[in-house]
Amino acid sequence: MSRDACELSALGRAFLDRRSFLGGAANGLAGIALGALLGRERLLAREEPIRPRIDPSQPHAARSPHFAPRAQRVLLVFCSGALSHVDTFDWKPELVRRHDTPLPGGAGLVTFQGENGNLIRPLWEFRPRGESGKRTSELLPRIGSLADELCFVHSMTAKSNTHGPAENQMATGYTLDGFPSMGAWVSYALGSACDDLPAFVALPDPRGVPQIGTRQWAAGFLPAAFQGTPFRADEPIAHLATPAVIAPAEERASRELLRRLNERHLEQHPGDTQLAARIASYELASRMQLAAAEVSDLSQETRATRALYGADDAGNPLKARFAQNCLLARRLLERGVRFVQLVNGAYAMGEGVGNWDGHKTLKAQYEVHAPILDQPVAGLLIDLKQRGLLDDTLVAFVTEFGRMPTFQKGASGRDHNPHGFTVWLAGAGVKRGFSYGATDEFGHRAEVDPCTIYDLHATILHLLGLDHERLSFYHDGIERRLTDVHGEVLRGVLAS
Amino acid sequence: MLCASLAFASLALAALPSALPGEGAGEDESVEQHWSFRPLRRPAVPASDAAHPVDAFLDSARGAAGIAAAPPADPRSFARRAYLDVIGLPPSPEEVAAYVAAAARDERAARAALIERLLASPRHGERWARHWLDVVRFAESDGFETNQPRPNAWPYRDYVIRAFNEDLPFPRFVREQLAGDQLGVDEATGFLVGGPWDRVKSPDPVLTANQRADELHDMVATTGSAFLGLTVGCARCHDHKFDPISQRDYTALVAVFAGVQHGERPLAKLREARAAELAALEPELAELERALEEAEPLADPASSSPRRAAVSSKRNTERFAPRLATALRFEIERTNSGSEPCIDELELHDAQGQNHARAARVVSSGDYAGDPQHRLEHLCDGIVGNAKSWISNTPGRGWVELELAAPAVVERVVWGRDREARFADRTAIDYRISLRDDAGSWGEVASACDRASESMPLTGPLAELSREHRELHARVAELRAVPQVYAGRFEAPPPTQLCHRGDPMQPRERVAPGGIRSLAGFELAEEAPEAERRAALAEWIVARENPLPARVIANRLWHYHFGNGLVATPSDFGRNGARPAHPELLDWLACELLDHGGSLKHLHRLLLTSAAYARSSRIDDLAHARDGSNRLLWRFSPRRLEAETLRDALLSVSGELDLRMGGPGFDLFEPNDNYVKVYRTKERALPGDLRRMVYQAKPRSELDTLFGVFDCPDAGQIQPQRNASTTPLQSLALWNSRFVLERAEAFAARVRRELAERPASGNAAEVRRAYALVFARSPEPEEEGAALALVEQHGLAALARVLLNSNEFVFLP
Repeated sequence: MSRDACELSALGRAFLDRRSFLGGAANGLAGIALGALLGRERLLAREEPIRPRIDPSQPHAARSPHFAPRAQRVLLVFCSGALSHVDTFDWKPELVRRHDTPLPGGAGLVTFQGENGNLIRPLWEFRPRGESGKRTSELLPRIGSLADELCFVHSMTAKSNTHGPAENQMATGYTLDGFPSMGAWVSYALGSACDDLPAFVALPDPRGVPQIGTRQWAAGFLPAAFQGTPFRADEPIAHLATPAVIAPAEERASRELLRRLNERHLEQHPGDTQLAARIASYELASRMQLAAAEVSDLSQETRATRALYGADDAGNPLKARFAQNCLLARRLLERGVRFVQLVNGAYAMGEGVGNWDGHKTLKAQYEVHAPILDQPVAGLLIDLKQRGLLDDTLVAFVTEFGRMPTFQKGASGRDHNPHGFTVWLAGAGVKRGFSYGATDEFGHRAEVDPCTIYDLHATILHLLGLDHERLSFYHDGIERRLTDVHGEVLRGVLAS
Repeated sequence: MLCASLAFASLALAALPSALPGEGAGEDESVEQHWSFRPLRRPAVPASDAAHPVDAFLDSARGAAGIAAAPPADPRSFARRAYLDVIGLPPSPEEVAAYVAAAARDERAARAALIERLLASPRHGERWARHWLDVVRFAESDGFETNQPRPNAWPYRDYVIRAFNEDLPFPRFVREQLAGDQLGVDEATGFLVGGPWDRVKSPDPVLTANQRADELHDMVATTGSAFLGLTVGCARCHDHKFDPISQRDYTALVAVFAGVQHGERPLAKLREARAAELAALEPELAELERALEEAEPLADPASSSPRRAAVSSKRNTERFAPRLATALRFEIERTNSGSEPCIDELELHDAQGQNHARAARVVSSGDYAGDPQHRLEHLCDGIVGNAKSWISNTPGRGWVELELAAPAVVERVVWGRDREARFADRTAIDYRISLRDDAGSWGEVASACDRASESMPLTGPLAELSREHRELHARVAELRAVPQVYAGRFEAPPPTQLCHRGDPMQPRERVAPGGIRSLAGFELAEEAPEAERRAALAEWIVARENPLPARVIANRLWHYHFGNGLVATPSDFGRNGARPAHPELLDWLACELLDHGGSLKHLHRLLLTSAAYARSSRIDDLAHARDGSNRLLWRFSPRRLEAETLRDALLSVSGELDLRMGGPGFDLFEPNDNYVKVYRTKERALPGDLRRMVYQAKPRSELDTLFGVFDCPDAGQIQPQRNASTTPLQSLALWNSRFVLERAEAFAARVRRELAERPASGNAAEVRRAYALVFARSPEPEEEGAALALVEQHGLAALARVLLNSNEFVFLP
């Protein structure tokens, strides 16, 4: 057993991983004894869980994956409110042909808000794109034009048909509140390649927070070190800037005194790694002050790059602000941030007003929302590709569920539909210009290769070199996983 | 080093039961033999030189491992430790000085006296209630999508504080939380409904069934983990993998709670107390209302002076000269919120009071789609309130038309937006009411144009009568509004069925309410009344034969005092949980609890007066090499203060802490009343916010940007054990936040104020006083020089900022 394992602080002990515990003494008797002990765990899981070993003084230090990864980092684009797949990416000619007729077998069907009317054709035309000829709609033409880069999953299903639990599930794997988000799991498992920035950054929509608020990027029961840090345009991280009332000389002198005070205290408590970790955290914080300010300084970007995203679109200030978030996402990924979560859509203004929840007047609402999303995300993909970042960055574009192929009775919008919807992946380790799975002829239910959010999460972890069945954290009697007791890696989407 | 560590590893395996979860799950051990299920028998205290029984147990294990104990902590450190741990606030320099002096005379007596005083302090309940609230996932908002606040959930928090301060016997504490409605403590059942609740309902039966199953699951799982230390929730979809809990047992517990619904109910005691005054005032109010209605002139659509009372979102009467009508038209041009207008009920009365609207045929300009609460057929259905109302499909506008079943002579229209007064938006403030006569011609009978408004108030005798009415109405409303408490509503329970694979859409056989059968459970008849179910569960849990609750609570106390439990998994005493480090000690403590009337303070006292608790936290190299995790308690494990203690301590040393107890909490977030509540951390704390953090109106799943980074639980799940991470975001928050800078300023002001009353003054005196307040010690000479230099150049607040960020302040010594 190595000395530093003896010196683990409370945090370190909480994380103490029996595998790494073994690792230090694998050749010794202790290893054998512990191996016997571990043998008793057969009941616990098919294979023993892996709890990453965290150095309390550097909780974000890079950690090894379980096997060779295809992706080094993840960009998650989360469209809050449930983006309609039948109006964007899932082309259903039969839906056009059977426009304004009843959904076969749908008599008396009650969905989230109640009864449904007739089938309604997509509200925007679909056109073939690129070499693949993949049809996507004119609602998001610029994202559509990149279809050759994208790997669509058309047969996604969700467990819940209401926003709270469904956003919980997409973000954390569980429909209940209180579980760690995907990015928290990933930063817990892998730390970060970047010392000076948080491992997991969330970029909330400029219109506000999504339906489940900050739970989209929460740490749940994982230590706070792994929660998503929300960046804001004006102050990238809360409390980042030295307050204006503190002059530079005072700041320097104060930091110096704090350092001396803490070091003297450490001398009196030798060997206490918690104290050392806290001293280190102040040094990290001061490096983060510089790095976060630097990464947020979008004026370093060329006019051409800014134009690619639409970051200066004076006619659509909301789009410009979302585009700036997209640009910031690239800068964060470039600097090695492990997981960036870009949110599109906010709920505070109510149903469908600032998000994709088009129950009543879908066309009018989506025509406001689509320009905010389309060019900035397309620009981001193009920029990532030009810079070679797409080679080792996985992009996942998700929403909590889809929408019905019918209109709601008495309304001009579509109700919730968790039985079949579209998400897409792009970049590291996934097929290009590919479509996986399919819904039925109307886009109502997943029919070919139906898959679950567990499968999606398993696939994302797999691409990062993590075994979703083994990455675990002990909480309340259970070795918890992102994928609960479910999930199969979607082998069909993996690039050879 | 390798040799030493190998020696330790094998020693550890030989001498110590494992602390790591999962290692208890040996198949060689039958269920009956599992340590926590075995009957509780008082072990003999081992023979030892130790004066204190707790130490006698610990010394024998430590002695066997050949590890020497650390010396006692110095009295100053001990005082800080005891204050921060027992009451959650740092001691004043004077309190420390008094203790140090007393300890110099007789340390053991001084310790005992200090512990006694701290346990008697009302601050103790505040500190320890926070621990219990972690264990039971308590928060004051719904969670899920809307995360709306629960403004009447706080009485449960006050109940827990009171229970701990009054040393409520533990079995009683358990009973009250499960069945307090039957024991005169309504607010205690806030426990049952302290968890998340999805308020977004739908006509979809699958969603509705799943939502209800989740609510009941939360109650069953929390009850199991809090009181029994068992992960009962793991048996939702299948029999428990490790523990003797079948899916049928789980379902029997679901049946216990099957009649419990989320929501508020009135505090019964208060309702009774107010009944007499209310009985006297209600007829008076009715009389006044009649007088007011008669005094109010008839509606006059031609007038534009404020002759009639302003539009009320609750209820409005429009009186006019009797006339024959065949139809009524109500046209709305504007609402107070700009959103689609809502009418909960529209009535058309004749002189005899008959409402002709009830039998009318109704058409409208267009109806709000999708929400079953708001339908055109609710407009004249005789049911008031938002849940049975009509909403137009056009923002700000809309009309309805009533075709009467037969012509009638009518004289009055009554309408409102929400007569239950829960909603005040969507109220028509610009409207016209017309009637059609039997010749088919329409005439306007009333409109908003002669109603008063904020800019055009009523005048004359009507104004006076109206004021009297307002006052009496307010008093009656106050009396009627018996304080509600978010402690659940109890309904007749429907039958409970086992759900195949946990899926409520796959119901199987019916299951009667009961307990866990392998633990000598109880079973009631399938039709047992609701209240009886919870009472029976409580009795089963606290029965002396049930060994779990006493073991579990004794371990929780140990966990919070020493930083780690004797069982490292405080809410999992099952076979997948950790095994106890000192099983006999744990059993002895559990017996002590039960044999002293369930007094938690007795148990606190036992732990706090032990030598183990008073040890120095200094690291001894040899002991550390052998037992780095300190499972043998050879030293006291220091730890970072939790978020709440840190905030309380900052306010305490700055002299600003507001010690008002109880009542509605303060908010760390900016107010807003969006449907989906948005939580934005307030820029600055307001004066009413400087209370102890246990009085924060704690939302679920939302953490503020300052203290939220210090591992505050978000109450989405239970948190029987907090993480204690160290991150740069914590440093940024404590170093740069406005909150801490303002505390530093207040601290500097406090020091100057105090010194103004004393002979000593000047920078050196300020530095010494600052050290005394923050650390309860004097600066050492070299520290004093550096601190003095900072104060001279940058002021006392600069020094305060440094001290409040120091490890010495932020760690429990």
